[in-house]
Amino acid sequence: MEIEVDGLEKTYGARKVLSIEHLTIPSGKITAVVGPNGAGKTTLLSILAGLEEKDRGRIFYDGAEKIPFQQMTMVFQKPCMISATVRKNIAWPLKIRGTAKAETAEKVERLAGELGLTPFLDRRADRLSAGETQKTAFARALVFDPDLLFLDEPGANMDPHALIEMEAVIRRLASERNKTVLLVTHNLAQASRLADDVLFLSEGRAVEHCKTADFFACPREEETKRFLEIEWR
Amino acid sequence: MDIIAEGLVEALRLIASFDREVFEVVLTSLYVTFVSLAIAGGAGIPAGLLIAGHRFRMKGILMRVIYTLMGMPPVLCGLIVYVVFMRRGPLGSLSLNYTVTVMIIAQTLLILPIIMGITISAAGERQEQVRKLARTLGAGKRQTAGLLMHELKPGLITALVSGFSRGISEVGAVMIVGGNIEGRTRTMTTYISQLKGMGEFERAVAVGIILLVLSFAVNSLLYHFQKPPESAGRKEMLWK
Repeated sequence: MEIEVDGLEKTYGARKVLSIEHLTIPSGKITAVVGPNGAGKTTLLSILAGLEEKDRGRIFYDGAEKIPFQQMTMVFQKPCMISATVRKNIAWPLKIRGTAKAETAEKVERLAGELGLTPFLDRRADRLSAGETQKTAFARALVFDPDLLFLDEPGANMDPHALIEMEAVIRRLASERNKTVLLVTHNLAQASRLADDVLFLSEGRAVEHCKTADFFACPREEETKRFLEIEWR
Repeated sequence: MDIIAEGLVEALRLIASFDREVFEVVLTSLYVTFVSLAIAGGAGIPAGLLIAGHRFRMKGILMRVIYTLMGMPPVLCGLIVYVVFMRRGPLGSLSLNYTVTVMIIAQTLLILPIIMGITISAAGERQEQVRKLARTLGAGKRQTAGLLMHELKPGLITALVSGFSRGISEVGAVMIVGGNIEGRTRTMTTYISQLKGMGEFERAVAVGIILLVLSFAVNSLLYHFQKPPESAGRKEMLWK
């Protein structure tokens, strides 16, 4: 699913937190949104996910302005867990879609296996560690096969092994199943490993949007160069 | 001590003998309390969720008014309702004073702020998180409401328990608007007050014990639903 943004603006009080003239998030690619704190990364993600209202501008999802809630999802940095087991958390999106019990059980088991969650399936989700919580939220987001995936700091609380497992799943989703992934990250190493494209935001503006290799090897904008000088080298 | 012991014996005798007068007051008390609780819960929980989930001007003042009304003296509430429905009052033509209906109105007004206030406190930030979660998983309005009820259940049950306790133990308001009329508006609390005035302490203590036992039974039932699903060893509505 391709996303096109035109003249997007968002203000909190007197402060303009987002001002993007034009932006296209290509379908079937992983786009990493990077930038300093307060650059508007999470606000952009929340607006695209329909969780926050924009002040101005238009957003098109595959050419249509209607937000396709049924085909997209977002995983938060600090995910909210349903007060139930991990199994029930992952199953909930299928439950509300009326999926058959056997199919639900099969999908839950498979995803839990892929993400190393099988031993935790019958534990209460609100008593997991931060990393396990994030994996559960990730599994719950993927279980209903959304076309569009918004990830806010994925793997921020995970150990390196779990992070690699999750990144492999994200890569497979984009390359094999043509899912569009937009992820906000402070971890530039993760952006370089995972993303096809990088969008650099600063003070709410889209400063640079290019291929990942170009972003790290030969950034065009001075602001990007300064950011990479501090954060990357 | 003798009076309490004799009251206990009397309570058992009243229950065993199906004492008509006692059963009437018990039924009136339960009827008035449950109907008030249903109305106040039906209005107060959605209103509380709405207030908790939105930012608007005067919200701070509204919250202060609700919290103040949570501690409203029952006699004052009863007096206001009485004045409204007295013959010369604005709704006097309805002739509702000294009926069960006006007792329900008074109790609903007493319970409503309690349910709203506790719902607002219980919902807090959690409500926003749950709504966001439901939206990102593609849930519709009904499914979001179901998830919200599931997630806020302990707080909502606390609100209902508090409302029930306030209603069942209330005496001032129902005495003023209901008048403690035998066979019509007499409740357990107004009956106890009357028995004390008549010096029938054993019977008053007996009715008090019945009141406590009933309150314990209802609270136990509500507490059962408040426990998390796993510890209660039963299936949740959400997963049926």
